[in-house]
Amino acid sequence: MKSVANYVGALGDPERPDGLGWGTVVLVLASVLVAFLVITPMFWLGWRAATVEPARAYALVFSSQTAWVTANSLLLTAAVTVCSILLGVPLAVLTAQTDIPFPRFWTIVAALPLVIPSYIGAIAFVSMFGSGGEVDTLFGMTIPRIDGLSGSIFIITLYTYPYVFLTTRAALISMDGSLADAARTLNHGPFAAFRRVTFPIIRPGIAAGALLAALYAISDFGTPAFMGADVFTSTIYWEFGGFAAEYAALLALQLIAIVAVILVIEAGIGRDEDAAGGARGGGVIRLGSWKWPAMGFVSAIGLLTLVVPIAVFVNWLLRSEGDPIPSLEFGWALPLDGFSLSLEGTYFELIYNSTHLALLAAFVSCVFALPVAYYSGRTNSLLSRVLERATYIGFAVPGIVIGLAIAFLGIRTLPSLYREGIALLVFAYVVRFLPQAVGTIRSSVLQIDDDTIEAARTLNAGRLETFRRVTLPLITPGVIAGAVLVFLTTMKELPMTLLLRPVGTDTLVTIIWDAQDILAFRYAAVPALFLVLISGLTMLVLLWQEDYEMG
Amino acid sequence: MVSAVDGTALSWDDLGDLEGELTVYSGRTRDQIDPVFDALEEAYPGLTISRDYDDNDVQVNQLIEEGDATPADLMYSQDPGALGALVANELVQPLPADVVDAVPESFRHPDGYWTGVSGRTRAIQYHSERWADLGYDEDDFPTDILEYATDERFQGIISTRPNSGTFRGFIQAMVERKGEDTTREWVSGMVDTQDIQLFSGGGDQATAVNQGGDDDPIVALGNSYYVARILNEDPDAPIRATFTEGDAGCLFSVAGVGVTNQVDDPALVAEFVRHLLAAEGQELMMEANGEYPVVEGVDYVGELPNLEEIEPPTFDLSAFDMELQDAQDLLTEEGMTV
Repeated sequence: MKSVANYVGALGDPERPDGLGWGTVVLVLASVLVAFLVITPMFWLGWRAATVEPARAYALVFSSQTAWVTANSLLLTAAVTVCSILLGVPLAVLTAQTDIPFPRFWTIVAALPLVIPSYIGAIAFVSMFGSGGEVDTLFGMTIPRIDGLSGSIFIITLYTYPYVFLTTRAALISMDGSLADAARTLNHGPFAAFRRVTFPIIRPGIAAGALLAALYAISDFGTPAFMGADVFTSTIYWEFGGFAAEYAALLALQLIAIVAVILVIEAGIGRDEDAAGGARGGGVIRLGSWKWPAMGFVSAIGLLTLVVPIAVFVNWLLRSEGDPIPSLEFGWALPLDGFSLSLEGTYFELIYNSTHLALLAAFVSCVFALPVAYYSGRTNSLLSRVLERATYIGFAVPGIVIGLAIAFLGIRTLPSLYREGIALLVFAYVVRFLPQAVGTIRSSVLQIDDDTIEAARTLNAGRLETFRRVTLPLITPGVIAGAVLVFLTTMKELPMTLLLRPVGTDTLVTIIWDAQDILAFRYAAVPALFLVLISGLTMLVLLWQEDYEMG
Repeated sequence: MVSAVDGTALSWDDLGDLEGELTVYSGRTRDQIDPVFDALEEAYPGLTISRDYDDNDVQVNQLIEEGDATPADLMYSQDPGALGALVANELVQPLPADVVDAVPESFRHPDGYWTGVSGRTRAIQYHSERWADLGYDEDDFPTDILEYATDERFQGIISTRPNSGTFRGFIQAMVERKGEDTTREWVSGMVDTQDIQLFSGGGDQATAVNQGGDDDPIVALGNSYYVARILNEDPDAPIRATFTEGDAGCLFSVAGVGVTNQVDDPALVAEFVRHLLAAEGQELMMEANGEYPVVEGVDYVGELPNLEEIEPPTFDLSAFDMELQDAQDLLTEEGMTV
């Protein structure tokens, strides 16, 4: 007979024969609450979509246009995922497992593209390398035209591979390096050792990053729109243009259905390899003279993804002679407001707003992710898997849809918070970006050794004390990596920020967007520089924590 | 400052002081509305205008989701279709009679649920050097919009942005003038014969025309203010604008305002709208945006061709024969979507 424990999953409470102690109950309830909170915006989709007449609904869902964009979206998603793995995994090996000089610097360079909104990258790329662009004008050289589906795949990959890079790198660093060394002493070459020993161990890490890249690709609107690719998000946005949110909601539900399939498939690939490790690090591959092409490779990526957009904006800054647009203009001098300094109207105001929002989003996401990730990492029950997968849905839905859902629900349930203060905006970020924290924390939970915990418990440590003294230190790397991911993606988030920010509040990205929207690129230069600078500093936190961990 | 006012338009001096706080949801961009808002805040130290900028379509969708609890007092929209969607969702209230009467009926809602504030015609943008390189004269553009779908010279070099409010208005206007069949033929001709390039952003399109790469369009259907913006940033830029005559292609459309249902201070909002329609408001719009005034007694002064030259036909912008959603569906069916 199957007991409740079969479905809920037990954490092995020694005081209960079925293992279902109070700790488990609290954990399950917390996970259910988190999953419920982050899927509440989806109820709005269902409610809205239900108002569509059945005939129209049928025509929308089963039109040839929908079939066409579905095929395109799946192709885009699959190609971005594969390309991100092909780019992200070698970069992770290069920075974590070789003797490349200045590994920290290259790690930051390889991770930073994550912080540039991909549509900004697309715009800059075309104006730099496209026919008639800067390079064409200066040297008469052009590259083949980048547009349509293949152009979207190229650009989105350049800005999403860091998901794979970061999760793979984390897995490599916490891997037991002596295993690969052992394989090499057994006469395996470095590639064979990688394929037969390293790869199986880091596979969950790769899968976690690949899933994030896939979901980003399927939910992105800006880049495919700029590139003129017909994808699923285009049709959703098209319906908003007719002010028919109900049609857009119906299509968004269809998108969720597609994503659900992806989530189930991924669940089969990245599942539950118990990658518990011994001594960390080790297994260094010597590059020899290969270190020059290796550094050239990372430099080229940094140049394409980071230097190009900033150079394009700075070029405009230097060249422009347009009329000033006061509300896009920010200064450096801090005006004295009575006795206190005021940030208003300065770049510091933008920096404060952006980092403040991103820090809160990162913190709340980690708090929300902990129970879900711990529960699903420690047990393998149907409920824990469903709850964990549920938190991924928000990441696959375009930001504007989540934003409108929270506008609708927020103004009705918490009117005093709506566009007053930032609580609802931070909640929106959590809905969208929570899976980044769930994924990284869960990976580190998987590496906890059952024996270690049992040892602590037999030494009469209580459940909480065991968690604080044994579990928490072990999962800290995952928590920090998750926080950094959420921080970086929140820094660049646009549609929800525009919808839910307190009226009149600007961030670095809203200014970048508004400036490029009205072709006043010069005003985008300084905020874009800060976006990259602050994100680079955030990466230092990640590296510092790795140093500490490897001690 | 330009002076183009005769006795009939009100001046800010004739109006009551503005004092208090207003929250404006704007589908217009900062460069378009800040000059007049800043001038008002300067003229009335007790006035604070909180401005929320976002995409025009997003603002309307957001107002629909927010309902009457919206923090917005006023929606300042790029186009009449968006304001019409607010009326259809019963989210705006009628303006006072004197405000409504100041604006000709075709530029506002008949019952005053919204009013236009400034106007612009749709234009043809083109890259002057590439056009000349093809061997055509500067004035060698058809003055009939229908010819753009049949004239072989435009094959493969023309573009538009089908998701803009004024493009949808243009389709509605063409249906009204030429009938649905001709309009469908025009759209499918553009897609199938002319192989029209489609952009999802007005700025992206104008940038591409101006960039002038081998794959970029040489001619584009769009609004003229993008041309003005590029020339403002770079006076040597090659992009120019021209206009069709007397048809839907030079549709005269307005940007305008609607007042939400539960505003804190209706008198303040009404007086604010009066200021936009007074001589100084109209002149600031002309200067900042290169737009045409909509009230009697203020004449256009600027570089754009006179409206008597272009002769845009008059439409009731609040009630085209074809509904907005049907125009949207027409474009979907004929394959002109982004």
